[in-house]
Amino acid sequence: MDAVVGAEDVRKTYGDVVALSSVSLSVGRGEVFALIGPNGAGKTTLVRALTGTTEPDSGTTQILGEHPMAVDRGRLGVLPQNFTPPDRLTARELLAYYAGLYDEARDPETVLADVGLADAGETWYENLSGGQQRRVCVGSALVNDPDVLFLDEPTTGIDPAGRRTVWRLIEDLAAAGTTVFLTTHDMAEAERLADRVGLLADGELVAVGTPEALVAEHGGSSHLAVDTEADATAFDDLEYPTEVRNGSVVVDDVSPAEIGTVVAYLEGRDLEYTGLTWAEPDLEDVYLELADDAELARTTRDEGTVLATAGGGPGR
Amino acid sequence: MTRLARIRAEADADWRSFVRRRTAVFFTFLFPVILIVIFGALVRTDPTGGGLFAEPPAYYVPGYLATVVLFTPLSRLGSEVARHREGSRFEKLVTTPLTRGEWLLAQTVVNAAIIGLAALLILGLVIALTGANIVFSPLLVPYVLVGVVCFCGIGAMLGSYTDSRDGAVAASNAIGLPLLFLSDTFVTLEQLPGWFEPLVNLSPLTYFARGVRAVTFPQAEVATVGSLEPAIANLAVLAVLAVVAFGLGARSIPQTD
Repeated sequence: MDAVVGAEDVRKTYGDVVALSSVSLSVGRGEVFALIGPNGAGKTTLVRALTGTTEPDSGTTQILGEHPMAVDRGRLGVLPQNFTPPDRLTARELLAYYAGLYDEARDPETVLADVGLADAGETWYENLSGGQQRRVCVGSALVNDPDVLFLDEPTTGIDPAGRRTVWRLIEDLAAAGTTVFLTTHDMAEAERLADRVGLLADGELVAVGTPEALVAEHGGSSHLAVDTEADATAFDDLEYPTEVRNGSVVVDDVSPAEIGTVVAYLEGRDLEYTGLTWAEPDLEDVYLELADDAELARTTRDEGTVLATAGGGPGR
Repeated sequence: MTRLARIRAEADADWRSFVRRRTAVFFTFLFPVILIVIFGALVRTDPTGGGLFAEPPAYYVPGYLATVVLFTPLSRLGSEVARHREGSRFEKLVTTPLTRGEWLLAQTVVNAAIIGLAALLILGLVIALTGANIVFSPLLVPYVLVGVVCFCGIGAMLGSYTDSRDGAVAASNAIGLPLLFLSDTFVTLEQLPGWFEPLVNLSPLTYFARGVRAVTFPQAEVATVGSLEPAIANLAVLAVLAVVAFGLGARSIPQTD
């Protein structure tokens, strides 16, 4: 693969906290790579390491074959996670300002329209809604028509319609050959946009692959959730594995054609139910499967720390 | 040409942001006015009767100018750097072609414009309220500009090395206030202990004050530097300090976390 973005054995710590632990990855030309993972997993640190705004303790990163700080700035577009531009400039002025920093840039009016803010161009940034503000920020990363685009949680706070506008924009950029590296907590966003998804948990890249491959490997099977008051033991004779999840009895490995078999089982035993929900596994199941382990380990560790502190302190 | 375009884009954004903060504009110009009214009109200078200010009114013109040449860059740059850091703006700018030096230069240009206007207001008020008899020399312009460059560099360092906007403003006040009074501005060297004189010579504002005094109030006795004319010598020293402060200020602006 022609690696446009790369990390090799990157490690970064903040005091005792390991933000990144031996992370290696590469992203090809024109590829959309989505990084998912829990809060505090190290996603933003990895974006910073890749864009050169943090120095890894060890390991190397590169963009377009060069150190991130040496790469031609005109070919790079970056949206930091907590970015807030000058708040008393209008949306139009902000895009013109960032466009003015490059030798060659897109027409700010076009970018304004692309992010769906043509009607809000004269509004000060501070008076825009949270979602509109984020769209301006996304626009600021696009004004130079970059070859490589880093978007750290680009659609946070944006309403569903606006989110789709941004998604279409990213899809168009990728179709035109732009390499996109994004982080997100929105699994639908990752599943729709990404050619490959990486899952980061506790600073480690625990899985990388196409959404389909990750779902096939880690997502589990399709399942039918039965909303019922009946006890789980009432399903013991059913030919499918069952378990109680979120207050429902979940019947696993059920294809759409087999739903009738389960319904017949329920009615044959006079088991009352108020709803049936069938679902295929998706990226969220992958996330919960892989990230939950890390979350569980972290909360168990934290609880242990709290208990130890509460019990160990003098006079408490 | 492209470097100029980048600086212009940054300066334009900064100027618009400043003029749209009406309270900031109002108090930027009100602060020196308050000082002139208090020191020049209420307390008054009294060269013959042992008043609080024993020198002629023209002697204190550098002090009044210093209120904006010193304080405005220190507080504006300090809080601007902190604001940029808090909003991840440097994290964004470092991935654009704009360099740290260009960013600081753009901020300096805006400060020079603001302080130039405030300086005109101060000179007009000093003459009107205190009757100061001063010489208008073209050298006043480079003094103000070089002073702004110097204190913008120091302001950038304050913003970079403090951990918040509040911290930057507090630090700029803590550093600015002693400098304002102990740099041969309002308090003459004779009123200070002898051992303090070397410390006065460490302050960049001292060379601003002595140079501006040499330019606007030729009758005053101004300490010389070597065998050079005080007006030129102090400007030269101030320029060297400005280059150093600007360079260090630009280098201090964070590029990474």
